Amino acid sequence: MSDYIVEMRNITKRFPGIVANDNVSIQIKKGEIYALLGENGAGKSTLMSMLFGMYEPDEGEIYIRGEKTQIESPNHATKLNIGMVHQHFKLVSNYTIAENIIMGMEPMKKALGFIPMVDIKKANKEIAELSKRYGLEVNPEDVIEDVNVSIRQRVEILKMLYREAEILIFDEPTAILTPQEIQFLLDIIRGLRDSGKTIIIITHKLDEIKQIADRCAILNRGRLIDVLDVKTTDTKTMANMMVGREVNFKTDKKDPVFGEEVLKVDNITVKNKDGLPVVKNVSFSVRAGEVLAIAGVSGNGQIEIADAITGILNVDSGKIYLNGNDITDKTVRQRIDAGIDYIPEDRNAVGMVMDFTLAENLALKSYYNEPFSIRGILNRPAFDSYGNKLIEKYDIRSSQGNPTIVRTMSGGNQQKAIIGREIEHESTFMIFVQPTRGLDIGAIENIHRQIIEERDKGQAILLISLELDEVMNLADTIAVIYSGEIQTIADAKNLTLDQVGQFMMGVGSDE
Amino acid sequence: MNKNRIIKLIPVFTVLAGFIVGGIIIAATGSNPFTAFWNLIQGCGLAPKASYAGKKGMITDLLSFIDLWTPMILASLSVAVAMRVGLFNIGVSGQMLFSGFIATVVVGYSGLDAFIAKPLVIVVGIVAGAFAGGIIGFLKFKFNINEVVSSIMLNYTFSYVISFFINTFLVDPVSRQSKAVSAASRLTLKDVELGAYKMDIPLGIVIAVIAVIVIWIFFNKTVSGMELKAVGLSNSAARYAGMSVNGNIMKAMMIAGALAGLAGVTYYLGYFGSIQPRVLPATGFDSIAVALLGNNQPIGIVFASFLITVLSKGSTYMNSASGVQAEIANVITGIILLFCACNAFIKWYIANRDTTTKKGFKRKSKKADKDGGAIAEADDKKGEV
Repeated sequence: MSDYIVEMRNITKRFPGIVANDNVSIQIKKGEIYALLGENGAGKSTLMSMLFGMYEPDEGEIYIRGEKTQIESPNHATKLNIGMVHQHFKLVSNYTIAENIIMGMEPMKKALGFIPMVDIKKANKEIAELSKRYGLEVNPEDVIEDVNVSIRQRVEILKMLYREAEILIFDEPTAILTPQEIQFLLDIIRGLRDSGKTIIIITHKLDEIKQIADRCAILNRGRLIDVLDVKTTDTKTMANMMVGREVNFKTDKKDPVFGEEVLKVDNITVKNKDGLPVVKNVSFSVRAGEVLAIAGVSGNGQIEIADAITGILNVDSGKIYLNGNDITDKTVRQRIDAGIDYIPEDRNAVGMVMDFTLAENLALKSYYNEPFSIRGILNRPAFDSYGNKLIEKYDIRSSQGNPTIVRTMSGGNQQKAIIGREIEHESTFMIFVQPTRGLDIGAIENIHRQIIEERDKGQAILLISLELDEVMNLADTIAVIYSGEIQTIADAKNLTLDQVGQFMMGVGSDE
Repeated sequence: MNKNRIIKLIPVFTVLAGFIVGGIIIAATGSNPFTAFWNLIQGCGLAPKASYAGKKGMITDLLSFIDLWTPMILASLSVAVAMRVGLFNIGVSGQMLFSGFIATVVVGYSGLDAFIAKPLVIVVGIVAGAFAGGIIGFLKFKFNINEVVSSIMLNYTFSYVISFFINTFLVDPVSRQSKAVSAASRLTLKDVELGAYKMDIPLGIVIAVIAVIVIWIFFNKTVSGMELKAVGLSNSAARYAGMSVNGNIMKAMMIAGALAGLAGVTYYLGYFGSIQPRVLPATGFDSIAVALLGNNQPIGIVFASFLITVLSKGSTYMNSASGVQAEIANVITGIILLFCACNAFIKWYIANRDTTTKKGFKRKSKKADKDGGAIAEADDKKGEV
């Protein structure tokens, strides 16, 4: 008999062109919070997918409660009381919360004594009780599409609890939450541990691990580096082990040298599809060599500002000038050619054509110019040589290089490709929206360094980020947006983290 | 064998499965399936048979087959082009009818000389078709009207309006069809005597071959083709990259319409020479199936349209020669398409089985996780590019 509730021994898993897990062994005690830490593509999710029955290991064995088990499917895993909350929720958006939770194991009743029917009243009651017991307040009758991500995540957790899961796996649970929601979730996870559940949490956020985890396994490029006791290890050590080298939390930067005004946004208003203004009379300007960061809670009009500047959205009123020229009525392409680079928030749906090759995506903003095409005819060799150059320069990793379909690449490498493409494109002004979202420390550090490098080369940079740390770390000037209105614009040196936080909630202006 | 190779061979298995099941059905009705299939091929002039009535034989049937194959190729290319920007052009029939009618009225009854009339028919077909397709594209981007709805409604509109004109002004009282177009305007040279045989020379096939090559080059080698594909794959990414989404929808629908227009003139001013009122050409609907079977690829469409045309063209001879119901051909087509629609599953199954056997697990896993599917999908796309 073993002391461990989960044991994975010598697990190896290969995918075409990559070893996702290389002889990894982990042992998890009942009732602990066990963190899996690693960069993107380190193999954390793959390892847990095997525990949840989504993949089978090429080599190695899995023991559940001391018994050797071959987990064949997620259904099998559920029978073994293993539950998983995926990074991307698996919910039916036009069903109610209760319907989503009971799906597949509905409580039944017999109408008129013989017609089997789902007992939705009973389900609603059970779920209300369950949610109260674990502090996960939800209204079972709400429809999923009407509730926010934080509630949806609670539904996913309740789904596991409803299936009486004992071993709960969380895949990057905090990636999409606001700071307050994160705290709430961490409290919930602690509560679950205290009620006897075993928790495995996949993350690359060190401070969260420090807050809740008991032990932490560090993976790097598919190999297990070490298992640490969280209490006795500092985050710096963890970060270094995870990345495999020294990490700087603080980006080194010289004092800014401001040049001419490059972008001027003059009193713009942008309306959404329903005709409601989401950006209200916003004005600001960005100078050469300056990083202007717009801080704000998600959904306060930041994205719309970026889309308006790049021409994807039309402004309702106001003017936008680039290097003194009015670009308000120009097309997206004219603005690209005039020298605007844009790293969009959604790299999958917007930043790339996911089913195009890497080479094609790297040339997505220049394919219509020579040498990529000559009089309308594509010149494939130019795509390939340009692709090779960027792959090398920006360390973009993929299974086959140029012909790799971008969809098959990891998020971090997709982002490297987008940033590389935009930096290489000739421009005077760059917009970065959430450039490090969902990325690991090594990649974040790299992107921060690149942003500062571009600034020092004299680019005007607009950074839009929900991560306050990122804003404080990089910005020369900070603008805070709340409900579509700029609350304040000030030199970054004159604002503290707390002040920015208050402006973000729309209360700072009272002072 | 390597996984990708197997996946590429799926259409072949699909077709074989169709014939096997069709053969079983023929055998069940008491006929010899091999004879029936042989007759099918003979009916298209692809296999030797005895010369029959008045200087007609294998070569006559072969050329007649090619004459019918031509509009099928063009119509299927039309479906494929629209599909590439993510639009389902179900209105090929209406576009064929419209351009066929316009060309009939403008050139067919004009009395122009052959060397002016024939090129003019082609030009009119392209312009009229592009116009008809353009209406659908315009409604799509201007008012966001679903192209399936608008193209079906246009099918009816074209069919009834054109029937009205034919029945009122242009009807041939004997055949109850529109009056036959002049020989000079026809894209098929009728009843040419060569040696011991009489035959129809299908000039349209040249247009079809050129169209296949042009469309292949367009998608694989041109900036416009790349933009069209990008718009079809991801609207938002295309807009982000500065492409005009509406412009590309319009462009694709006009190209699709022009191809349908070519199909229309090769059909009405080639194969038939007249228009039957109130009937939409079946070719326009079969072409959707052909494009599916040919994986929306120009080369795939050549083979798929060949096969589907063999089945429809040869079935009459099969019926008279071996007594098998002509509808059996439709049954086989249906089964092929059914298997074809299962493509995604078969791909997933192969991709999945391959990974499990490689690992040395004998048991087949039932996990229906999306990752296996995604890999198969990615492999599939790789094959396409």
